[in-house]
Amino acid sequence: MVSPHKIPKKILLAEDDPDDRGFFFEFLEHRHDVLLLPPVENGEEVFEFLEKAKNGNFPDLIILDQNMPKCNGLQTLAILKNHSHYENIPVFVYSTYTDDYLKQRSIQLGARSVLEKPLSLEGYEKMIDAILELI
Amino acid sequence: MDSNAQLTHNLMRELEETRRQLYEAREIIEAIRTGQVDALVVQNGSIHELYTLKTADHAYRVFIEKMTEGALTLSPNGIILYANSRFSDMIGLPLSTIIGLPFEQFIAENDRPFYRKLFKLSWKGDAKGEVDIFYKHHRTPVQLSLTALELAEGTSLSIIITDLTLQKATQRKLEENNRQLEHLNHTLEDSNHDLQQFASVASHDLQEPLRKIQIFSNLLRIKSADNLTNDEIAYLEKIIGSADRMKSLIIEILNYSRLSADDSEFLPTDLNLVLKELLEDFELLIADKKAKVLNYGLPVLEVNRGQIRQVFQNLISNALKFSKNDMPPVIEIRSKWLADKSFTSSEQETGPFCLLTISDNGIGFDEKYATIVFSLFQRLHPKDSFEGTGIGLAITKKIIEKHHGLIQVKSAVGVGTQFMIILPLKQIANGQSS
Repeated sequence: MVSPHKIPKKILLAEDDPDDRGFFFEFLEHRHDVLLLPPVENGEEVFEFLEKAKNGNFPDLIILDQNMPKCNGLQTLAILKNHSHYENIPVFVYSTYTDDYLKQRSIQLGARSVLEKPLSLEGYEKMIDAILELI
Repeated sequence: MDSNAQLTHNLMRELEETRRQLYEAREIIEAIRTGQVDALVVQNGSIHELYTLKTADHAYRVFIEKMTEGALTLSPNGIILYANSRFSDMIGLPLSTIIGLPFEQFIAENDRPFYRKLFKLSWKGDAKGEVDIFYKHHRTPVQLSLTALELAEGTSLSIIITDLTLQKATQRKLEENNRQLEHLNHTLEDSNHDLQQFASVASHDLQEPLRKIQIFSNLLRIKSADNLTNDEIAYLEKIIGSADRMKSLIIEILNYSRLSADDSEFLPTDLNLVLKELLEDFELLIADKKAKVLNYGLPVLEVNRGQIRQVFQNLISNALKFSKNDMPPVIEIRSKWLADKSFTSSEQETGPFCLLTISDNGIGFDEKYATIVFSLFQRLHPKDSFEGTGIGLAITKKIIEKHHGLIQVKSAVGVGTQFMIILPLKQIANGQSS
């Protein structure tokens, strides 16, 4: 997957847990195929970020944590998919626990896929590989 | 002389007639005295008169005196003509003072309009109603049963008074029990709600810190492996192992609690396909154990596909897990149709019920544990010899119950275990067909 000549995909992560934000950067910063945009902490901040985003930092894909304060993953997803400017951005929902409801509802609302939060470095690598395959 | 003789003759005849009548009268008195006669019919001119004897209704009087109900006879204007001693006990007045009083004065004031209605009705036909009898601060709930009587002396009203004190007390007790039951029901609903809340807490809030334990111990093992002693690595492995185990416990508790939510959808399902799919998941483990799973043919039943898959998964993984070390596991799956929902039922071609048996040649267990293995968190083996949460069979049983079926197990140590499941061909009241 790692091909230096390719333009890296810009990823916006919405995640309220500082540890989980940390894992993302610690485990994925070395990759040349992805560029991690400054993370946001909830759904509301996703829209604040997108409104201010210029071409240079407009995300190629968004990863939403489901369990976030103020505006959770599914709520954020629903608003994104009903917004003419943002509806085409691929969205992934990820969570510690992915039950059938979360899976079905996310796909219904237009998410590309639902992922369970990884438990290790390899898990994170595999998750990003899978995401890049899907967009 | 002729006229004298005539007079004497007439007197003699009259005397004779009087003697005959006297004899008859004596005979009758004797018959009455000895109880041979209940009534007399006397010809008086052109009409017959009937005389009944007081002794004839003696038995009934005794009966009425001794019975547990109060009994009254009222005149058409409601005056008590007769009362039995049970009634006198009820109101606490001697019989002699009751006779001649209007019955109405013993009826509780707020029941009097109702009593007047009953009284009026009763002359047209039998009437019944509940009132309170009230006298000298003593209140007794009673049922009145009024019957108008046409007697030789004229019309009168007979009233049977049944004391309802006990019945009312029972009724109150029943109402109280009902209230308590309702309260318990509310408590149960609340605790059910709490359980759902718990499920949602368990699904996220418990798993998030747990995942942190898993991921940070994984990191520590990778990054610091070189600096750790063998003991320290072993501790770390134990932390990781315990966290993994806790994760599977939480997931299984969630699965179990989700079964409580009534969202079953029963559809005709080919169990052979369910089993085939499942065995693909078990491929590695089956190959590893050199196990044989033999399906002798399963039916199409109305089931919840996901739940029945879970049943097969739990039973087959148990059979693989509890196999003997020196013998490859052989798991046999069979089915037959039954006439009734019973393990002793006779076979019946495409009967309304189906018996599924899943048997293995594993280590088995003592038959005395045959019922408790289905309890939540019940394990027969220490955690270090066989991994597991002790929830699998509890889930299995709950699923079978949700399918209106039965499950039981037979086992013998060193021989093997056989699970038997009865499922209906069709689910009655299948309200959730899609």
